[in-house]
Amino acid sequence: MSVAVQLQGITKRFPGGVVANDDIDLEIEQGSVHVLLGENGAGKTTLMNVLYGLYEPTAGTVHINDEPVSFETPQDAITHGVGMIHQHFTLVDPMTMLENIALGWEPVRYGGLAVDTDAIETEIRDLSDRYGFDIAEHMHTPVEQLSVGAQQRVEVVKTLYRGADIFIFDEPTSVLTPQEADQLFDVFSELTAQGKTIIFISHKLDEVLAAADRITVLRDGRKIDTLDAEGATQDQLASKMVGRDVLLSADKQSVDRGEPLLSVADCSVDDDHGMRKVDGIDLTVHEGEIFGIAGVDGNGQTELVEAITGLRSQTAGTVSIRGTDVSERSRRERIEMGLSYIPGERQEQALVLDFSLTQNAVLGSQHHDQFRHGRGIDWAAVREHTDRIIETYDVRPPDPTANARSLSGGNQQKFVVGREFLRDPDLVIAAHPTRGVDVGSMEFIHEQLLALCEQGVAVLLVSASLDEVTSLSDRIGVMHDGSFVDVVKPESVTKDQLGLLMAGESLDREATARSQ
Amino acid sequence: MSGLTARIERLFGVLIRLSTGERMLLSSAAVLVAVGVGMIVILGAGYAATCRSPALSVFGLEFCYNPIETYFVLLQGAFGDSFKLAVTLQWTTLLLFTGLSFAIPYKAGLFNIGAQGQFVLGSLATTIALLWAAEITPSGMLGRLVLVPVGLLAGGAIGGLYGLLPGYLKHRFEVNEVISTLLLNFIATAIAVVTVDRYFADPELQGTVSRSIPTEAVLSSQLFPSSANFSLLVFAFALLVLGGFYWLLTNSAIGYEIRTMGTQPKAARFGGVSERFTTLFSMTTAGVVAGVGGAVFIMMVLGRWQTGAPPVGFDGIAVSILAGNNPLALLPSGLLFGALQSGGQAIQFQLGIPSEIVGVLRGLIILLVATPELFRLFGTQLERRGLITVDGGRE
Repeated sequence: MSVAVQLQGITKRFPGGVVANDDIDLEIEQGSVHVLLGENGAGKTTLMNVLYGLYEPTAGTVHINDEPVSFETPQDAITHGVGMIHQHFTLVDPMTMLENIALGWEPVRYGGLAVDTDAIETEIRDLSDRYGFDIAEHMHTPVEQLSVGAQQRVEVVKTLYRGADIFIFDEPTSVLTPQEADQLFDVFSELTAQGKTIIFISHKLDEVLAAADRITVLRDGRKIDTLDAEGATQDQLASKMVGRDVLLSADKQSVDRGEPLLSVADCSVDDDHGMRKVDGIDLTVHEGEIFGIAGVDGNGQTELVEAITGLRSQTAGTVSIRGTDVSERSRRERIEMGLSYIPGERQEQALVLDFSLTQNAVLGSQHHDQFRHGRGIDWAAVREHTDRIIETYDVRPPDPTANARSLSGGNQQKFVVGREFLRDPDLVIAAHPTRGVDVGSMEFIHEQLLALCEQGVAVLLVSASLDEVTSLSDRIGVMHDGSFVDVVKPESVTKDQLGLLMAGESLDREATARSQ
Repeated sequence: MSGLTARIERLFGVLIRLSTGERMLLSSAAVLVAVGVGMIVILGAGYAATCRSPALSVFGLEFCYNPIETYFVLLQGAFGDSFKLAVTLQWTTLLLFTGLSFAIPYKAGLFNIGAQGQFVLGSLATTIALLWAAEITPSGMLGRLVLVPVGLLAGGAIGGLYGLLPGYLKHRFEVNEVISTLLLNFIATAIAVVTVDRYFADPELQGTVSRSIPTEAVLSSQLFPSSANFSLLVFAFALLVLGGFYWLLTNSAIGYEIRTMGTQPKAARFGGVSERFTTLFSMTTAGVVAGVGGAVFIMMVLGRWQTGAPPVGFDGIAVSILAGNNPLALLPSGLLFGALQSGGQAIQFQLGIPSEIVGVLRGLIILLVATPELFRLFGTQLERRGLITVDGGRE
């Protein structure tokens, strides 16, 4: 096998002295899936931005197919066959798939007067046939109407369309459901089978082991090791990433459950288009209890959580906190009753991206007495509180004046979790609380969640990660198509059984099927 | 192509990350550039024009207008003596109110193009209220103590209602506030003209002119010549209002909610901010401020309602954008517009330079000073929508 990408002595120093990459050597074989593994801030993305021409390295050289190159812009990288698929897609939402794919690379006819859409269409069909993508049917659909997984495949086809041989994926699974992630790994196999090379940035150990041929671990801007995926274990990778041994699954102490804190009775909720998404859900969460909701994304979890938190009104049923019916109470009143909420959409909902961390620290508590000074907000107190969040939850960079936008996804998440947990809540609704955070922080967030629980806080946990749900929850409600298929104790079911429940099947039927 | 895009992104990046000090320096430099370009325009216009005695002749070429003299007269006309300074500050005062009327809703993500209508209706309400109240209030000091607040309150209240209306339409029926406020301007003028014509016209004067408001309600001049119609107390009041709103927006919970709603509505809802409240509050407040501006216009400047209100409502939009919609920055921005107004008139009358050229000179300064700010606004929007990335940043 020949070497597709060779990086030698890459160092990237930012103005201000931050060394994001420190003398990194890396060789990537053609036709392989090579994973860059590391915690948030380890320098993975910076290294790839150097390769992609977004950053100029302070020192070091890049070779593509044994040819020394120096890219000044991503355009240069693309002409050398290097394409990058970013964590947040670079698609124009209202434009069709076809328009998005050809954007900037349109073949023309009539002497440049018109775009040759027929040629584009042929090319896209050709590509999707060759690589087995089932997206040709959406050719004229605006991409905003496609699922996230399909949008990602559009990104892949777009990159193929531009003639890329080397694909860089920046944390591609952070926006995907487990099923979509599996589909993506199938795409990887198709691509490598055709001789394409894949570099895949990740911090999720299970998917790294599932998808990679070789793994390079980065920590604090340095290369720690490169090893074969075969034979590597999660524990081994985790300790290389973090630099110490890590507890991968939470150690849950059983807590005596107290009074019922959150009760949802016969609750039905519609989405924005008037579709019934939650259909007659009953659930009760007690003090000191973690109630997990497992299910494939899009089965009504978001709508249920929004109805509980006061962001969406239910069409039927009631939501009660400590026995008080809050169905008609505003979001603000519910916050004041001690409800903390970690939403799945942290960038859109939980943070004002153009505000500083300090300004974000008071979001939701802007009327709270703790932050009141005279008739205004006590910014000094808010600032102190911000420092506390940053310190306790290891938010990097530890700069309260930094804009939320400038933080990486994992650090944004840590900040949100910190703010919501330090609010002194009685009830925590956590949707995907560890999505996008690294292993070390995940461990910490789990510990904090369990600690809250020991103090008698009631927790409703929604997660796409079965490991998370089963290791933390006291009871698990499995949601399918807007209602609970079953409510089970985590120790009494296997992951396979949970998977079946998530698909909407009931357990006894499965048991009878097996006995036959 | 890619080099160009990268350069544009970098330009946006530089503009967005400018500090306040750098922005002020940039604005000052822009004024200098505008003056330079303006001088060339004046030379050109002066060369093309015909006049009896050329103001300047160089190398046998004769120019009717002297560029240096022109800008000197502009400065003199704006700040030359206490009367001229008073006229500048009179315009500035009105622009501070209408500028604020744009800036507050902008912070909540709303575009109030209706300051003009709120100003006109406010001024009408003030006039009517004062004409009515004059009949039942005693004259002298006591009358003044009653009539001044009545006039201001009437203007503010009606202006506020006229701002609440598009706010309510926006909240209840999702009517785009740009369109509704814009159209309400015409309705306001029509209402005012009909009302004054029918019920309050001064029988001794032609045209749509109301009777004069009682002298007790006139906000008379202090320190400045009384003929200039400028009250330092009103100016101080306007500054106090600016400071108050600056504090409200930066330090109060309501201000925080308004800014959150304007920056990221979804996050605002997450944080328990009521969209209904911020929309209605900011639009009503905008109307109140513009309406008070209208009251001041009647009680300090005109003394009666008449047609042809100056476009201070529309100029207020430019004043606010130039100030980056920051209440405190409205003062320098408003001063610039006020000075250009009074100085422009001086050029026109003293040097005989046609008003069109004066308009070009004013336009140049506004254009060059406002362009970087406009690009900043534009760039921020692009960045917010993820269409450009202006900061490399770290991982």
